Amino acid sequence: MTDPLVSMLLALADDELVLGHRHSEWTGFAPHIEEDVAFSSIAQDEIGHAAAYYSLVAKITGDDPDRLALGREKHEYRNAILCERANGDWGYTLARHWLYDHADALRLEALESSAHEELGPLVTKIRREERYHLLHADTWLKRVSQGPVEGRKRLADSIGIAFEESLGLFEPFEGEQDALSAGWIPVSSSELRQRFVRQVAEKLDALGLPTHMTSHAEEGAEFVASSSGDLIASDNGERSAPSADDGFGGRRGRRTPDFDALWEDMTSMYRTSPGARW
Amino acid sequence: METWEVFRRHGHREPFEHCGTVTASDHEMALLTAKECFLRRREGEHLWVVRRSDIHSFQDESLLEIAADKSYRFNSGYRDVVEKRERAKARAKELASS
Repeated sequence: MTDPLVSMLLALADDELVLGHRHSEWTGFAPHIEEDVAFSSIAQDEIGHAAAYYSLVAKITGDDPDRLALGREKHEYRNAILCERANGDWGYTLARHWLYDHADALRLEALESSAHEELGPLVTKIRREERYHLLHADTWLKRVSQGPVEGRKRLADSIGIAFEESLGLFEPFEGEQDALSAGWIPVSSSELRQRFVRQVAEKLDALGLPTHMTSHAEEGAEFVASSSGDLIASDNGERSAPSADDGFGGRRGRRTPDFDALWEDMTSMYRTSPGARW
Repeated sequence: METWEVFRRHGHREPFEHCGTVTASDHEMALLTAKECFLRRREGEHLWVVRRSDIHSFQDESLLEIAADKSYRFNSGYRDVVEKRERAKARAKELASS
């Protein structure tokens, strides 16, 4: 079994790497030049955070950070499925960016008091940049939600879709119970998920955006890890979220066709000449 | 969308200096993008954004030209003062000893 600390760090790193890669696909295509620079910079930040987590894993396991990032097979990645989804339009990109960065902020807040002596200080540094990401996402959401009808509708629709899948960020990672006992992370995924749903509902409400899917999620099934490592819903075995089957399983290495294209692109250079240095 | 002029400061004792412009819907968006456009490589430690339409100037730039001799407003206009003082001192000495 994978070391629970490694498993936790890989989930974090893979989320950041894969979403950072998606964000970077906007470079040259963002709605205007200033935003192009800002969003590309956020993409670089996320990939930088991933690099820091991979380096920590590499230190623990004696692996190579580049190999961890770019030299693994598709099923070895542990990112939430939300992160690998194709960008779609700017509305979906914003919705996902906003949901992801709120989820990430809660997770990092908890990780800052990790019992791991290097992780806490690293997270403190990462949180400084994440504050900007959150401000960026909140500012955009406020503008679009108060803007013309079409933009607002696209954003609301996208939040509806991305929200269901954002709950996949809180799927327990492999060995989470052990990681909790060891204090690597002091708060469980299910507790973080509850905080997330509450916070998102409050913020959407304040913006006058629909919140029905959040109340749905709060009433919904509590996900628990079964002995096989599969996730099951505690209420009669059925998930309440409409697209849940698509959005979950990322932490167990389930990948969607969206990931195939991303992986081909992201790892092509590394596969062409493994171990190459800039 | 409006044009926002961006000013940047290198240190807290330094003056804000103009460094460029961004196009944005409001001051919050302007600050958000200005940070990444003009402060990404530690070029400074603080930013202002000002709506271009809030900056006022003279309609007629020729008003700013200095037409006549205003040498008395410049240091260079007083270059011969030292020489004049030395001459006056010498003259005073001369008178005292006579």
